[in-house]
Amino acid sequence: MSYPGAVPTARSRAMVRETRHLLFTVTPGALWIFIFLVLPSAYLMGVAFMTNGPYGLPQMPLSLDSFERLAGVGFLGWSPGNLYTLLRSLWQTLVSTLLVVIIAYPVAYYITTCREKWRPILLLLVVVPSWTNQVIRAFGWMNLLAPGTPLSSLAESLGLVAPNMGLYPSNFAVTLGLIYNFLPFMVLPLYAAFEKLDTAQVQAAQDLYASPVRAFWHAVFPQTLPGLLAGTVLVAIPAFGMYVIPELLGGGKGMMLGNLVANQFAGSSNWPLGAAGAILMLIATFIGLFAMRRIGKRLGGGEEVVI
Amino acid sequence: MRKRTLARGLAGIWWVTLFFLYVPLFVIVLFSFNSANSTAIFENFSLVWYRRLFGNEQIIDAFGHSLVLAVSSSIVALVIGCLIGYGMYRHRHRKLGWLIVLIYLPIVLPDIVFGISEMAFFVQIHAWTGLLKPGLGTMIIAHVTFQIPFVALIVYSRFVGLDPTLFEAAKDLYASPVKRVVHFMVPTIKPALISAFFLSFTLSIDDFVISFFTAGPESATLPIYIWSAIKKGVTPEINAIATLMIGAVAIAAIFSMLFNRQGRR
Repeated sequence: MSYPGAVPTARSRAMVRETRHLLFTVTPGALWIFIFLVLPSAYLMGVAFMTNGPYGLPQMPLSLDSFERLAGVGFLGWSPGNLYTLLRSLWQTLVSTLLVVIIAYPVAYYITTCREKWRPILLLLVVVPSWTNQVIRAFGWMNLLAPGTPLSSLAESLGLVAPNMGLYPSNFAVTLGLIYNFLPFMVLPLYAAFEKLDTAQVQAAQDLYASPVRAFWHAVFPQTLPGLLAGTVLVAIPAFGMYVIPELLGGGKGMMLGNLVANQFAGSSNWPLGAAGAILMLIATFIGLFAMRRIGKRLGGGEEVVI
Repeated sequence: MRKRTLARGLAGIWWVTLFFLYVPLFVIVLFSFNSANSTAIFENFSLVWYRRLFGNEQIIDAFGHSLVLAVSSSIVALVIGCLIGYGMYRHRHRKLGWLIVLIYLPIVLPDIVFGISEMAFFVQIHAWTGLLKPGLGTMIIAHVTFQIPFVALIVYSRFVGLDPTLFEAAKDLYASPVKRVVHFMVPTIKPALISAFFLSFTLSIDDFVISFFTAGPESATLPIYIWSAIKKGVTPEINAIATLMIGAVAIAAIFSMLFNRQGRR
């Protein structure tokens, strides 16, 4: 009697079962991330548009005060401290990423020129220091750069820093710390790119009497571009939001955006200002990811670029 | 001729870079054996800082907190992450874009934004309801949040690597879903489960920023203890803890090297 309807019923029952299965497996994790990360982030974004209360906690009414303060508007007119911090973060990110690229290129290439048996071990040697905690690594540089250490004395005798100042705390120490922290993240993707390198193209360039520089620029560099892009994402985005290194190695004048944000939730409490800084950081992160994806797609099939 | 100079230059850059990478760690290890309380001048060999270290209850407590946090958060993340990983695999033909975005969110979010937003949220919830007092509980919640994506992606990629007909075979052979999970799924993805657990564990042990902002006054982990000791004023005691941690990393590196060798044979 109900035969014609039997097939769709079985199918829809299977559909229901599948959906129930999907909900059962996915819901706990999705809900967890939603409650403990999406909601908090949304709350933080809301806080950015509120007013700073007397105890540093957010209050109504809604306002854009925090963003104005980030842009350099203070209670008593122009006070560009926050703006300088912002620009310093951008500058540090740019310089350290560039230097990391310059160091990582020859290192990654060197590893590919070694015997295949040794390559995993050489890569491991590059990566192992980054397995130690980042606080400890920054501490190591504090020990090396503090006033009175051989490196600082050398810099003083060369007249690079004022006497008894030492190399730390300074912006230089922050740059150094960032390079140290992020070098492996650039070496790994570049190594992967070099390993797949089509050497016939390099050979062709040499046969056509290209200078080494031109051979590199036209035959090698384009082939490593996907690795370079992946490395840039892995280095520049976390570098921009870095907290530990500027806090330990930079001192007051080496502060970056991450420290500005964190400080608003600790000592000099101003939650809305901190939240506004966090929004800037998020925007920078998503612009970075989006731009890299676009460039990666234009390069064509850059699977490794899509993270 | 030119080729040889290039090769030499490359090797030179390699050794200088390696020196750059290991010098800060070497200095820490060296000065942990210094008898004087100085990080500039090495006086005599001594184990005084290690002796102090093992007598310091705060450090022992901090180490305990680190372990409890890492183990418990990894277990929770393993269960939840596995479920999502399997769900993503089984329903991979559906449109799950929103789920992918949700899963990548903890990975792409800058640590500081992650930590601060959770802290602000927990503080607010605590003010309203009295729940989620900052401490080990809030830290475990935060750690599970950033561990779930890694577990899910590892488990998912293991399932993708399997022959799909295996699932049909398992379905035919084992009647109930429970039996299928116990006798087929868990054994087949066991390597993925082990590596997911270890990755979660390491991520948790290594984390500083997120722990720092979600911690309470009595739940400092080892990195947080080191941080506050550095901020208060450098002591070689820190060198001694840091040396032990570097030692742990070195042992892990040697194991991974041996493992790598064996895998090649």
